[in-house]
Amino acid sequence: MDRYRDFSLGEFVWDKPFRNWVLNPTREDDETWQNWLAAHPEKREMVERARKLVLSIRPANASLSNPEKRKAVERIVERLEARNLDSAEERRPPWYAGRAVRVAAILVLLAGLGWMFRLRHQPKAVGYEQLVAATKMEMRETVNATDQPLTVSLEDGSSITLDPGSKISYPPHFGDGHRGRREVFLSGKAFFDIAKDPSKPFFVYANELVTKVLGTSFTVRSFADEQEVSVAVRTGKVAVFSREDPDMPEKQSSRELTGVVIEPNQQVVFVRTSVKITKSLVPEPEVVADAGVAPHLEFDEAPVSAVLSALQSAYGIDIIYDKNIMDECPITATLTEMSLYEQLDLVCKAVNASYESIDGRIVVEGKGCRNN
Amino acid sequence: MKALTRSDLHPAMYLEEEQKLWREMLAGDVTAYEHLIDRTYDLLFHYGTKFNGDRELIKDCIQDVFLGVWEKRNALNPEIPPKPYLLASLRRRLHRLASRLRMDCMDYYNESDIVFDLEFNAEYQLIESENDRILASRMTEMLNELPKRQKEAVFLRFYNDMEREEIAMVMDIQPQSVSNLLQEAFKFIKSHWKAIVSLVLALPF
Repeated sequence: MDRYRDFSLGEFVWDKPFRNWVLNPTREDDETWQNWLAAHPEKREMVERARKLVLSIRPANASLSNPEKRKAVERIVERLEARNLDSAEERRPPWYAGRAVRVAAILVLLAGLGWMFRLRHQPKAVGYEQLVAATKMEMRETVNATDQPLTVSLEDGSSITLDPGSKISYPPHFGDGHRGRREVFLSGKAFFDIAKDPSKPFFVYANELVTKVLGTSFTVRSFADEQEVSVAVRTGKVAVFSREDPDMPEKQSSRELTGVVIEPNQQVVFVRTSVKITKSLVPEPEVVADAGVAPHLEFDEAPVSAVLSALQSAYGIDIIYDKNIMDECPITATLTEMSLYEQLDLVCKAVNASYESIDGRIVVEGKGCRNN
Repeated sequence: MKALTRSDLHPAMYLEEEQKLWREMLAGDVTAYEHLIDRTYDLLFHYGTKFNGDRELIKDCIQDVFLGVWEKRNALNPEIPPKPYLLASLRRRLHRLASRLRMDCMDYYNESDIVFDLEFNAEYQLIESENDRILASRMTEMLNELPKRQKEAVFLRFYNDMEREEIAMVMDIQPQSVSNLLQEAFKFIKSHWKAIVSLVLALPF
């Protein structure tokens, strides 16, 4: 205790044993300090000042009343006892051991797997914006904001006629890059008249459908808000496949047209919700331009088979019929200035036959005319 | 419950009593457990509220600390000092809580929200001398100017009677760093003390 003889006020205030005596006095501390003060009465005043300073300068503590503290302590002990009770019942089978719970768990698991499977196999709606964003090529975009068709001429001599409300993205130059492909992206409806260049196939990406052509004319209809994407051919042949097709890279690079091949007056419709490509005839087939300058469609007592054959070559559409039966039926008719379906209606009515459009072809069925 | 008060005991005995409760509690004695909670609750509560002003949250955290201690009682060392251990657990818990909050709302919480924030107060009614009142008020201002980590070390050392190693355990730093913090705090206090005292002495009363 001798060291305290020369202590200043500040030294007392920050002296650990001194503070302990002031703040948390024990009986022994008190005895020691009282004895020392009795021996050093000259220090009494300073010690008293230091004591009051120590006592008065305190950390600002949040108040905690005794009842509040008691409640908190009791709550902890209660919790503990509740837990101990739980563990005493540990031998009871756990909640998940029940048969029902196990069956439910398996069902939940199966449902989860099914859901995951669905997620993985759910058709992914692919949009124009994503497709364009995904390409690494420099792209130019033309939007037809007018109410008239707008023709866009491409570098290779091809032309694209954009319907109102449609837009197309295409590279300013079809370079040799990207394996010599000509690639464009369409949103909306457009008629394509593609310059022939077998070494550089032309691709139209429209939502989920990819159309590959070597040189031909066709229409693609692919509006973002429509459930169907369709490709209809005017001249030549095009191949259509889905982006989701696992063989797509192969089909894209193949020298031949693989996938669903469509010919003039045929179209494919891709139903976006079902990922199904169906081939059919266009609603209004047109006479194929190079089928002969003026298709001869006037018949006088000609067999029906000859009429159907003439229609087939005029429209470039396969018409399937039983030649033996149709040879027997003669017909006199003038079929000019009519649509294909009107012509077929007339012919079939005359010979008591019927027709169906199946898979982009026309199938004519009749019983023949022998008994008439 | 008969609680021993500090004045009944020699400091060493007091600490020995705490250690004894800790040992008994780890052995599964619920009464010792309750005594220990009762004895350390104020300190934990006051320490906790320095980090976060939400007193209900602090109470919940203290409860979690004690329930955690009971659960881990077979794995805990009966010879570690209980108070620093409990304070350290509470501190860790509050930090974890704060970093979770930080992750949830990145921009609203930053490091400064989880540091020890302590204000010192002077209770003047104890002091008769005007001189000493001014002294007390200057000292309080000075303490409040201490950097926060130094304040925390001072709080644990001078207001809660902790040793260097114990403070290191609570603050999760090296004992040497505790010494450095305290030394810096003292350098600051001493340099200002002289100015304060001379100022007070120069005043005409």
